[in-house]
Amino acid sequence: MEESKPRLLTVLDVFTVALFLIATYMVFFYAPQEAVMGDVQRVFYFHVATGWVGMLGFIGAAVAGIIYLIKKDRKWDIVGLAAVEIGIVFIFINIVTGAIWARPIWNTWWTWDPRLTTATVMLLIYLAYLMLRQGIEDPDRRARFGAVYAIVGSLSVPLTYFSARIFRTIHPIVIGSGDPSATGSFDMSPLMTQTFMFSLLTFTFIFIDLFWHRIRLGRKADHVEQLRLQTME
Amino acid sequence: MLLSVLLQEGPANTTSYMIAGYTIIFGVMLIYLISLLIRQRNLNKDLEVLEEIQVED
Amino acid sequence: MTVERESSYLASEKNAGKVASFLRAMGAVVWKDLSAELRSRELISAMLVFALLVIMIFNFALDLDPATRRDPTITAGVLWVIFVFAGTLGLNRSMAVEKDRGCMDGLLLAPVDRSSIYFGKALGNLIFMLMVEIIVLPIYSVLYNVNLLNLGLLVVILLGSIGYVAVGTLLAAMAVQARTRDILLPILLFPVVLPVILAAVKASTGFLDGSEMELIRPWLNLLIVYDIIFSAVAFMVFDYVVEE
Repeated sequence: MEESKPRLLTVLDVFTVALFLIATYMVFFYAPQEAVMGDVQRVFYFHVATGWVGMLGFIGAAVAGIIYLIKKDRKWDIVGLAAVEIGIVFIFINIVTGAIWARPIWNTWWTWDPRLTTATVMLLIYLAYLMLRQGIEDPDRRARFGAVYAIVGSLSVPLTYFSARIFRTIHPIVIGSGDPSATGSFDMSPLMTQTFMFSLLTFTFIFIDLFWHRIRLGRKADHVEQLRLQTME
Repeated sequence: MLLSVLLQEGPANTTSYMIAGYTIIFGVMLIYLISLLIRQRNLNKDLEVLEEIQVED
Repeated sequence: MTVERESSYLASEKNAGKVASFLRAMGAVVWKDLSAELRSRELISAMLVFALLVIMIFNFALDLDPATRRDPTITAGVLWVIFVFAGTLGLNRSMAVEKDRGCMDGLLLAPVDRSSIYFGKALGNLIFMLMVEIIVLPIYSVLYNVNLLNLGLLVVILLGSIGYVAVGTLLAAMAVQARTRDILLPILLFPVVLPVILAAVKASTGFLDGSEMELIRPWLNLLIVYDIIFSAVAFMVFDYVVEE
């Protein structure tokens, strides 16, 4: 029973790729060069956007976990796993690009700043989620434990941020009122703001598109697994 | 990009860091896409084999 | 009016009965763990020896000179590392025993509220952890020549341990049901429990440092909030972890 690809998904694919190309163009050619930091500031646009996708993924995983525990429908387990996987990929990009930006600006690859700590803890929690799933064979139990861990983990992430935040931070808060003493903060010119907003929009679509594909993949894997069990009997 | 390297005057020359950053962004996204494609292909293969077996039965 | 009052009276009596049976079930689980431990003493002794080994390793790994040894930041940090590691050992063991001897199935078959099993196990684990901590503190004081007899510090240790055990009991119940259970618990637990440890270390440093209450209170409040949040959530989802 080969599920044919929905028309809307194809449209979304094309649209997302187009957005991505435009966003890339804007980052390199439309946005002006920042006056102090130079070109490395261009990393900022996709750095924040990938962090945003990472967060969307993890919120999605927690919501899917709650729905799974209520409805006990395997569909929601597949959704949860898809969200975590995409979250891991993008939060990883976020952390590495952050370090690359920090090297010339803060003169270090890494500091234990609240945001950096929280992003890392998030990555570790969701890697642990995958390891937990790997260790359990029974699909229903795997789904239940995954849901429980996603809920507990998503609760811990904001608490970690909050605890670490009480210390003074050197991470620039570009959006909203920033602490001017934070190293590496800058005022965004209108062109920069446009590029930034467009990047966020683009990556939101990338998230939706990838999410959809990953859920379809998960459902197919589930279907194959069930066929395999049937033929083995 | 070359132009911006040549024009470096006031701002710090951090172009190599920008290139490294975007290599990571594009590279990791590409790897993830490829992994999705490969998994999709493997599943399709498995599905074909399983369906054949079921027909034989 | 009287009917209403009567029915509400009956309801409250029914609730009281529920609470009593809940407490009885919880007490039974705690008592079972404690009496088993009194006979074998394997859990506490393993945790204690492990804790002493960690103290020793820290002494050589950090090569502390007498002045730094008394530094409150170092003391609080080392103490919490000891508690966290020894606690993991205890949590894993206490849940693995249930699983291996098939006690968990017996517990689940008992006609009691499942959350009473959670609170019973958590309370048992908390008692073990506190016992280890109470023995470790004087030993640490002697070995490192610092005075740890500080009421504030004891309160922090109690609050931190509650938060740690609240999440730890839930996650250990999951970890022991997995194929990779020997290595899984710390991987699951440490990133989740980090905010508790962070606040506990900060508050401990404050008390050892003799800081003003103004500076310590936010951390204490945080610890209390974390304890409540983590216990509440663990209590809500524990059913799904043990259900067959």
